[in-house]
Amino acid sequence: MPVAPRPLTVALALCLGWAAAVTAEEETEIGEILAIEGDPEYGEYLSSECTTCHQASGSDAIPAIVGWPQEAFVVALHGYKSGQRSHPAMQMIAGRLSDEEIAALAAYFGTLAP
Amino acid sequence: MSFNRRAFIGTAAAAATLRAPMVRAGSHGKPRVVVVGGGAGGATAARYIAKDSAGEIDVTLIEPSRSYYTCFFSNLYIGGFRTIESIAHSYGTLASDYGINVVHDWATGVDRAAKSVALAGGGRVPYDRLILSPGIDFVAGSVAGWDLTSQNAMPHAYKGGSQTELLKAQILAMPEGGTFVMVAPPNPYRCPPGPYERVSMVAHVLKQSNPTAKIIIADSKANFSKQGLFEAGWEAHYPGMITRIGPDFGGENVTVNPAEMTVDIDGEVIEAAACNVIPAQKAGHIADLAGVTEGNWAPVNAVDMSSKVDPEIHVLGDSAAQGDMPKSGFSANSQAKVCANAVRGALTGSRVFPARFSNTCWSLIDADDGVKVGATYEATEEKIARIDGFVSQTGEDAATRKATYEESLGWYDAITSDMFG
Ligand SMILES: Cc1cc2nc3c(=O)[nH]c(=O)nc-3n(C[C@H](O)[C@H](O)[C@H](O)COP(=O)(O)OP(=O)(O)OC[C@H]3O[C@@H](n4cnc5c(N)ncnc54)[C@H](O)[C@@H]3O)c2cc1C
Ligand code: HEC
Repeated sequence: MPVAPRPLTVALALCLGWAAAVTAEEETEIGEILAIEGDPEYGEYLSSECTTCHQASGSDAIPAIVGWPQEAFVVALHGYKSGQRSHPAMQMIAGRLSDEEIAALAAYFGTLAP
Repeated sequence: MSFNRRAFIGTAAAAATLRAPMVRAGSHGKPRVVVVGGGAGGATAARYIAKDSAGEIDVTLIEPSRSYYTCFFSNLYIGGFRTIESIAHSYGTLASDYGINVVHDWATGVDRAAKSVALAGGGRVPYDRLILSPGIDFVAGSVAGWDLTSQNAMPHAYKGGSQTELLKAQILAMPEGGTFVMVAPPNPYRCPPGPYERVSMVAHVLKQSNPTAKIIIADSKANFSKQGLFEAGWEAHYPGMITRIGPDFGGENVTVNPAEMTVDIDGEVIEAAACNVIPAQKAGHIADLAGVTEGNWAPVNAVDMSSKVDPEIHVLGDSAAQGDMPKSGFSANSQAKVCANAVRGALTGSRVFPARFSNTCWSLIDADDGVKVGATYEATEEKIARIDGFVSQTGEDAATRKATYEESLGWYDAITSDMFG
């Protein structure tokens, strides 16, 4: 019996430029992206690129990115990477990150207190 | 400082038995990192090494000033958007919260054989790794008629602090309808859009206080960073006020006379009510003294910012010849974090991750009219190589420009806490 995809799966599908009606193959692929276990130590190193703009407390124009649920963080970065979310600097930065690196960042930033 | 390296090596043997007066080093077995220059590169490197090694590495930061005045946002101070206090930062937190040994003194020599740094106040600081991030010095004779003794009459305001305040005071004191002249620097120099953001901010001030004043830029470069954006902005906000004389009209043929306050551009003599001379630039002098420069800059390996001359010395920021990154505070900060990861790995065996760099430079053209340019970079065998980038577009709507300016405010707070804790 087909199960309705989870909202995050749909969100990530949209981020990847796919239709909301996710196929079974796509759902597997999305499941794999969301299931990658991030290496928090690598994430900490990668985070140093982010902290030049993102203060822990955030600012009016540059939001705080600490303490997010990991999956939401992954979805947001894939959004910039695929161009679904528009912002030139964030698109450029996310465009260079691999799925593993995004997971590592999510794992690291997720551990920081907001 | 007229301390040359040969003289220093000559006295090194004698000095070796003297204990450094104010530096606690070598008294235990921890690896020692010495950082010269507490600016965008040096403060960041010192903080990351101290923070991430959690006491395993002894970090000494040598910096003469007790307050660091950022050059970034110094143009906004000139334009009246920031106070001078708001761009000043102290080293207090680096000492108290990160355990960094902050030494307020000048480094006057580097003995590469003995691996120690000499201080102006006497004494030597031994290192296992040395990080140099001394910013820029000026190339003597690059602007005819100008030398460092002219910097009060014709400030460069290209190092932070008192020079910036002096230039602003001179702009505010210009007689009605007077002329502000900028002699723009040749490539490469720190902050490619910096002179043109400055012209924008001077125009912003003059438009309010002295609207018949004129601005002339003498420029030896055929074109410059974000040129289309600046020129469109000048036309929109300050019509008729700004004239740039490029090399096609003799902009490279300039002689200044600081005593008379005149500027000769290709034979035409202009009376300057205020004059900003930004000379050609080179690595901070200590890089020369350390013997790690080739020509004006210090060549480095992109992977860890180590000197191509001495693998135990790293050179960051403006002083480094690294490849494609512009000389900016953002770049220096980015390079510092790659270097810190590599140095810590070399000294303590911690994990070393692949180098990655990025930069974004914002400029303010008028109130709420911000523009930006940015890129990401990777380390190749040869250099730091550009991968991808973006730049603001002419004709963007006002909301986008305002958002860009507001982003720069967030960036300023973020990078300065990334540097100083
Ligand atoms: C007008 C202007 C606007 C700018 N705007 C921007 C901007 O918007 N964004 C941006 O990213 N960049 C900007 N920059 C560029 C930025 O300021 C520099 O690129 C950056 O500061 C370089 O960092 P650094 O560590 O190489 O040198 P610096 O930050 O200059 O630090 C060098 C430090 O070394 C110390 N020092 C030098 N010699 C010695 C010695 N012998 N012993 C001990 N200490 C020593 C100095 O006192 C200084 O504190 C601007 C620059 C200017 C001039
Ligand atoms: C050049 C400055 C800059 C850098 C560097 C930067 N960011 Fe951003 N980031 C921004 C801005 C500006 C926004 C808001 C963009 C928008 O309006 O969509 C943003 C938004 C985000 C968001 C979405 C936040 C939200 O509330 O929706 C995330 C997540 C994020 N960034 C993560 C990162 C990570 C991870 C890095 C480092 C790999 C990074 N950023 C590096 C400027 C930057």
